Amino acid sequence: MNLIARLKPLNTPLTLVAGVLVVALLAQLAGISLITRIITVMFVSLMLVLGLQLYMGNSGILNFAHIGFMGIGAYTSVLFSMTPEAKVLTNSDLYPFLVPLHLPFLPSLLIGGLVAAVLAAVISYPLMRLSDAAAVITTFAVLVMIHVVLLHWDRVTNGPRTLFGVDNYTTLWTSVVFAVITTFAVYLFKESRIGLRLRASRDDRYAAASIGINMVMMRWLAFMASAFIAGVGGGLWAHFITSFTPYSFYLTETFVILVMLVIGGPYSVSGAVVGTLIVTAAREVLRAIENYVNILQVFPEGFFGFTEVVLAIVLILILVYRPTGIMGSHELRWIQKQPKVKENEALKNSGKV
Amino acid sequence: MLELNDIHARYGAITALRGVSITVSQGELVALLGVNGAGKSTTLACIAGVLPPWQGSILFESGSIVGKSPEQIARLGISLVPEGRDIFPSLTVEENLRLGAYTRSEKTEYQRNLDEIFDLFPVLKERLQQSGGTLSGGEQQQLAIARALMSRPRLLMLDEPSLGLAPALVDQIFELIARLHQRGVTILLVEQNVHRTLEIVDRVYLMNTGLIESQGTPQQLRTYADIEGIYMGVRRQGNT
Amino acid sequence: MINLEFIINMISLGSLYAMLALGLVIIYGILRLVNFAYGELIMIGGYTMFLLAGFTPLPWLVVAVLAVLAAMFTSLFTELVAFRPVREKSLTAMLITSFAVSTLLQNAALLIISPRARAVTLPQIFQTSVMIAGTSVPWRNILTIFTSLVMLALLTLLLRRTVLGIALRAAADNFTMTRMLGVPANTVISAAFAISGIMAGIVSIFWIGRSATVTPTIGAPPLLVAFVATVIGGMRSLTGAVVGGFVYATIISLLGVLLPPDLLEFREAFMFAFVIIILLFRPQGLISGKTSEERVG
Repeated sequence: MNLIARLKPLNTPLTLVAGVLVVALLAQLAGISLITRIITVMFVSLMLVLGLQLYMGNSGILNFAHIGFMGIGAYTSVLFSMTPEAKVLTNSDLYPFLVPLHLPFLPSLLIGGLVAAVLAAVISYPLMRLSDAAAVITTFAVLVMIHVVLLHWDRVTNGPRTLFGVDNYTTLWTSVVFAVITTFAVYLFKESRIGLRLRASRDDRYAAASIGINMVMMRWLAFMASAFIAGVGGGLWAHFITSFTPYSFYLTETFVILVMLVIGGPYSVSGAVVGTLIVTAAREVLRAIENYVNILQVFPEGFFGFTEVVLAIVLILILVYRPTGIMGSHELRWIQKQPKVKENEALKNSGKV
Repeated sequence: MLELNDIHARYGAITALRGVSITVSQGELVALLGVNGAGKSTTLACIAGVLPPWQGSILFESGSIVGKSPEQIARLGISLVPEGRDIFPSLTVEENLRLGAYTRSEKTEYQRNLDEIFDLFPVLKERLQQSGGTLSGGEQQQLAIARALMSRPRLLMLDEPSLGLAPALVDQIFELIARLHQRGVTILLVEQNVHRTLEIVDRVYLMNTGLIESQGTPQQLRTYADIEGIYMGVRRQGNT
Repeated sequence: MINLEFIINMISLGSLYAMLALGLVIIYGILRLVNFAYGELIMIGGYTMFLLAGFTPLPWLVVAVLAVLAAMFTSLFTELVAFRPVREKSLTAMLITSFAVSTLLQNAALLIISPRARAVTLPQIFQTSVMIAGTSVPWRNILTIFTSLVMLALLTLLLRRTVLGIALRAAADNFTMTRMLGVPANTVISAAFAISGIMAGIVSIFWIGRSATVTPTIGAPPLLVAFVATVIGGMRSLTGAVVGGFVYATIISLLGVLLPPDLLEFREAFMFAFVIIILLFRPQGLISGKTSEERVG
């Protein structure tokens, strides 16, 4: 089999990765540190959005806990990557057994992801059997619980106080590499047997069960994989921002990631990528406006929340007018597939989200 | 009274009706016969406003009803008793009936209607305060029809009322339908029980895979149409 | 220490949580919508009280009524503008929309008022207590219990004696069939949102009555309670909501006295662990409605 034929099924992720690399190169060439920063964060966000897509796109269930696992990954990874001195400096109350732990960057990241995945496995297993609505609600509760624990477990997380002194290991190209790997991983998951089975049970639970698909197990595996990605993404983010609090892993971030996914299109990997790009750009513009207004001191109490209000309105509009997002359920391809029979179009346009 | 012209309807990508035209005149008892999947229930759904057809027209008393919502169509006087009865299990019999009369605002009329219903369905009077979910299949079917009658419909549509009922109850249901017909209620009946249906109806439409295959009086159909063929999938020699 | 004061406290909390859960379930029962913006209705009630009690000479009872009305109208408004257009699309779309509305309202409050907490002037009665059987019981608790009993009675009356109530219950059973009987979908849904708003408004009075402050994010904790209580109770029945509310209040109150002091701040986490265990054995919740939520596995 020649190379082209081998690569054909990977058409979509390759196309997406090509786009990612182009953006990264442009950012690198621009040379402005602000742009580099924005693009680096964008790629970390992309990783998180892809992680969410893996679960939500295939199982059809909203996962509100995603950012919570990002937080777990963040805190865990810094516990390993920081030197003992740095740790004690930021958190004098840290458990003694945690102080001497010290590993290089990459293992720390992976451990962060693993811890998130294991926790996800334990917490979520009983929740996988719930009806769809109850499942969504409980993921929200999981988010809040994680937040409560992060906020109050001073001896590990430094509580509500800032945890500072993290080494800035995450560079532009670090985040690019991870974004690329994640793109492939999520796409391959989608096309894998697990992904297929999950989508089958999303579409028709009983039919899927009747051919032996264990929906609970499939959901559970997807949830763990999603949490792993979130955990690693959290570690990446922690080592970019170098100081953070538990408030960085709560409702606002959940909202932003969700907006990125839904605007792009939750049912395709391309949707995740496209959405992240567009929303990042929009956010920067909106934030710039917000800052400008704040400088002008037009509002005595400060001009906050403008970005979120606009994003929320846009999200609602998308849901009303194009609920499947910009990409619909389509994936990007380097050479667009020939449109098949009309039946396919009708299926896609039947309006089901 | 009711006129369907070249109705096309689909569920997502699946075409269910491919050009259905039927008429029902005032006071008639018309039946739609056919196997599962022929499109009978879909036709009723289109009329009731639950599934909007993407092509064709539906005229009710000379006014178009395509695109109207189910509640608007109900208020025009079209009542549908769906397959599976769809009575409200957590409401009592009385509450089910009360809701059936939603489109009627007159208080005295309500009591009068109720009395008529008890005439036709004595068992419902007995079970008035019981919750719908505790009724037997036959009783639920009676409740569903009674509920539809509470609104004094101009057109009553019944989707497989005899489905899943014991033979004695099937007799009861068909007797009831015949009696309603005698009283002048216009009825559009969807059924799979060909034999009993042909005994009581004025006209029949025979449906197959989304189209009307043949139509006529029960006499005509018995003679000319290949009912067996449609149901069994085997064609008689030398037939349309 | 489990004494009379503790028990009255717990019952008062249970009544509050029951009302909270009811407001959520009434919408879920008909629309299958989990309304994330429900918490923000409490925020709206709170800010109404802050503005009216702090800046106008209106008597407190009037302020309270207006707060409830504010929550109700906000609820109706969000239905009209955000949920109605998405209603036909899909449940997921509605859910995300409700989350978007929630974020929108929170940040609108942030934008328009302030990120800082605002003190709400409370009526005298919320700060006084009365002696019952030798223990000092805050009037606030008694009022909570009393109000919830009244609301439960009113709601039951509405649902059982009025045509609208019958229509609401029917819609929860089978929405399409209800429409086919001529009941306008919009009427039923608006009624449900109105009731939900009223419940939220009343809860806001007593919720803020405990802390005397309001912030843009004050909606999140009660939302969580409502969520967990409804899931415990079984999501489909109003009885379930009430039971869920009381179970939640009982567990969290017990945790409050049983947990060692250094673990107290993790009360909610323990509560949730408990809930997970309940769900492990009964994914459908404690009370199964006539037609229960489907179990998946």
